[in-house]
Amino acid sequence: MLEQLLIFTRGGLILWTCGNALKGSPIDALIRSCLLEERSAETFFSYDAPAGGAAYNLKWAFHNDLGLVFVAVYQRILHLLYVDDLLAAVRREFSQIYDPKRTAYDEFDEIFRQLQKEAEARAEEMRKSKQSNRAPLMAGKKQGAGAGQRAGSQGNAKQKGGKGSSGKDDGDGELGKGRGLSNGQENGTKEHSRAPSVVVKGKENGAPVSGAFDVNKLQKLRPKGGKKTDTGTGKASKAEPKKIVKKNRVWDDSPSDSKLDFTDPADEKGDEVVDFGKADHGESMMDKEEIVNSESESEEDEEVESTKPGTKKKGWFSSMFQSIAGNAVLDKADLKPALKALKDRLMTKNVAEEIAEKLCESVAASLEGKKLGSFTRVSSTVQTAMEEALLRILTPKRSIDILRDVHAAKEQGKPYVVVFVGVNGVGKSTNLAKVAYWLLQHDISVMMAACDTFRSGAVEQLRTHARRLQIPIFEKGYEKDPAIVAREAILEASRNNSDVVLVDTAGRMQDNEPLMRALSKLINLNNPDLVLFVGEALVGNDAVDQLSKFNQKLADLSTVPNARLIDGILLTKFDTIDDKVGAALSMVYISGAPVMFVGCGQSYTDLKKLNVKSIVKTLLK
Amino acid sequence: MEQWMHQIEQWVRQPPVEQLYAALAVLVVTLAFFSILRLLKPSKSATIVLAGLSGSGKTTLFFQLCDDSPHQGTVTSMDPNEGTFVLHSELEKKGKLKPVHLVDVPGHSQLRPKLDEFLPHAAGLIFVVDSLDFLPNCRAAAEYLYDILTKASMVKRKTPILIVCNKTDRMTAHSKEFIKKQLEKEIDELRTSRNAISSADIANEYTLGVPGEAFTFSQCRNKVTIAEASGLTGEISQVKQFIRDHVEP
Repeated sequence: MLEQLLIFTRGGLILWTCGNALKGSPIDALIRSCLLEERSAETFFSYDAPAGGAAYNLKWAFHNDLGLVFVAVYQRILHLLYVDDLLAAVRREFSQIYDPKRTAYDEFDEIFRQLQKEAEARAEEMRKSKQSNRAPLMAGKKQGAGAGQRAGSQGNAKQKGGKGSSGKDDGDGELGKGRGLSNGQENGTKEHSRAPSVVVKGKENGAPVSGAFDVNKLQKLRPKGGKKTDTGTGKASKAEPKKIVKKNRVWDDSPSDSKLDFTDPADEKGDEVVDFGKADHGESMMDKEEIVNSESESEEDEEVESTKPGTKKKGWFSSMFQSIAGNAVLDKADLKPALKALKDRLMTKNVAEEIAEKLCESVAASLEGKKLGSFTRVSSTVQTAMEEALLRILTPKRSIDILRDVHAAKEQGKPYVVVFVGVNGVGKSTNLAKVAYWLLQHDISVMMAACDTFRSGAVEQLRTHARRLQIPIFEKGYEKDPAIVAREAILEASRNNSDVVLVDTAGRMQDNEPLMRALSKLINLNNPDLVLFVGEALVGNDAVDQLSKFNQKLADLSTVPNARLIDGILLTKFDTIDDKVGAALSMVYISGAPVMFVGCGQSYTDLKKLNVKSIVKTLLK
Repeated sequence: MEQWMHQIEQWVRQPPVEQLYAALAVLVVTLAFFSILRLLKPSKSATIVLAGLSGSGKTTLFFQLCDDSPHQGTVTSMDPNEGTFVLHSELEKKGKLKPVHLVDVPGHSQLRPKLDEFLPHAAGLIFVVDSLDFLPNCRAAAEYLYDILTKASMVKRKTPILIVCNKTDRMTAHSKEFIKKQLEKEIDELRTSRNAISSADIANEYTLGVPGEAFTFSQCRNKVTIAEASGLTGEISQVKQFIRDHVEP
């Protein structure tokens, strides 16, 4: 039984409603997280009322010409099959009696009751006739219901595949090996002799985290690793007596330079001892005004992009007639070629394929049935709708004013904690230093926490940055539990009155189960103010997988009911892509988190804000 | 030269040709058309814009003003509501009644750019604040208000602003003095955090208030007044007064 059926205008006025009162506010949640986010092509939306209320499923239908939305709400445990049917029938009947001036439609109660009876009867008939086929159908619906989260059903299939591969990893029993292998793939220059020692270290790190591996296997590996390093050093010592000091080659008669070795002098520990003056590279690009080319974009819309002659020409001619006459009603067949062209254009700009597909379907859903204005072509209507949709998606949902948040936390007397997460090699440590530089320029005291206790050189890297920026760094070396290191860092920060703590974590692949569990533990234990996902702008379809899996793992493995998900995105390596800016769109669409920073270079000042209008313009060029 | 004069004399003395009549007729008609258009075009814009956070009660207020009743309730708006109407109380007055063009802009943060379409033509802005659920949304409301107060189109045209504390029919609603003080405090904080940047932020084109002093609404270049209202019960007399004052008859 339906809980409620609502009819409302796009402007927000409820025209007609029937049914019981709903717990929570499912309609507002539907509008905010689904319809306004251009996910209107999905089949349904599930809502859980807070504080243990009921669990609802919502389905909707649009009437784009009149600007009406029809929403049906029912309990999730009931699998009602007639809802789509009923919504279509209601839409048909209501559009006949609709009048923009009227706001009360009491006579619709009768019509609705009739329609509901008819729809239920039809569903009963279908059920009786399909008795044998019902079991697989229900199973299909269950799977669909399970997958009907924000990521969509494709994300579910990928997750299953991901689980399978991580299962394989566990099956090997070599957690560290799996990690070492993935690292080896990233850094192809890793020497072979170092790999086993990496495995050993990884295992030792893995032990306090999961505790679910074989101690015997570790003991077996340790002598193996030791042996290999012995042979490695043995080889090196043999090579030493044969060393001859090389002389510098002189190319022409100019005197040779005295010093060609630019490495900094090392002290006994092997650490570099450098005296850096405080790095002052000028103003961070976050604070610079961007000179935007703000000429009107309407000229570009007028260009006709017809590629195929023949059938296209005939279509163009008749569409010209219709556009002048001005009463064409858009239907799916009309929209298909324009949307296909748009989808191809988006994909050439490096937008992930399934995101482009979903966006195009959503725009089609919002344009179907609409009347074309006079003197407008189908392609220009579609272009305008897509532009509006993109602008809406990329505009941040919540405030991205970090300085204001930092001031608020300062008033409360506790440090503002930012955690940088992401896969391997995207630029977390580099951009962490850039963010630290920007915050320093606004007179905020920053502290770094080196919670990448896995990758060799990570702590030294951060130490160098800290020395150049002259800010304190909290580090505990390698092979420590990152969650504990982070907690101690935050305590240290509140002791020495640092305003912001920037926590660097190790890069990890999204389907590496133990590492994601470790990350989830870090976030749950320390409850940071901002979880920043660092993603590179060069990524293509993998962005969707990365973000959806990160969010899913953070949600699944959290201990509290309100899981902390990714709050913001930091887009890096933006200077390497010319106009293939689609990764920004994919990431924002799939996670719903705004892009807070954009890294566009490797020096401290190369950090800027995302300019939504210019990105939309570039995407649709 | 004389030949020319002779030719012109001859031409003038000729009986006028049909084409001449037609040309004259077209000219007269066009002139008449344009003069009628100019008469019919409204001389000054009478647009009032309703803005505020999502859930503050703008759409309810809009329908209360338009139709004197909030109908069956509202949901989050996806598109702006526009209406041209004469205020109901005005219908009793005799004389020339000027219709008011009221625009209700959605408050959802992703739909904020729509506000920029309507602000340049606005004769007045009504900023609706939820006085029931005020404290959790105080910062967001203050940020929105700050953005509006520093927009070039608002400052240059000195558009008057009315801050309406909505939902005052409930017992636990805050008073307008409390809300005013909280908003001023929040905007003061925003001023320091935004103006710490040396070159201007793209969105905020003007600075607000007097540096060194705490911010008050009287320091704004636009005239800011505060009122209380309740969209559901219909106590919107102060809002109507504002509209009447700023839409010239």
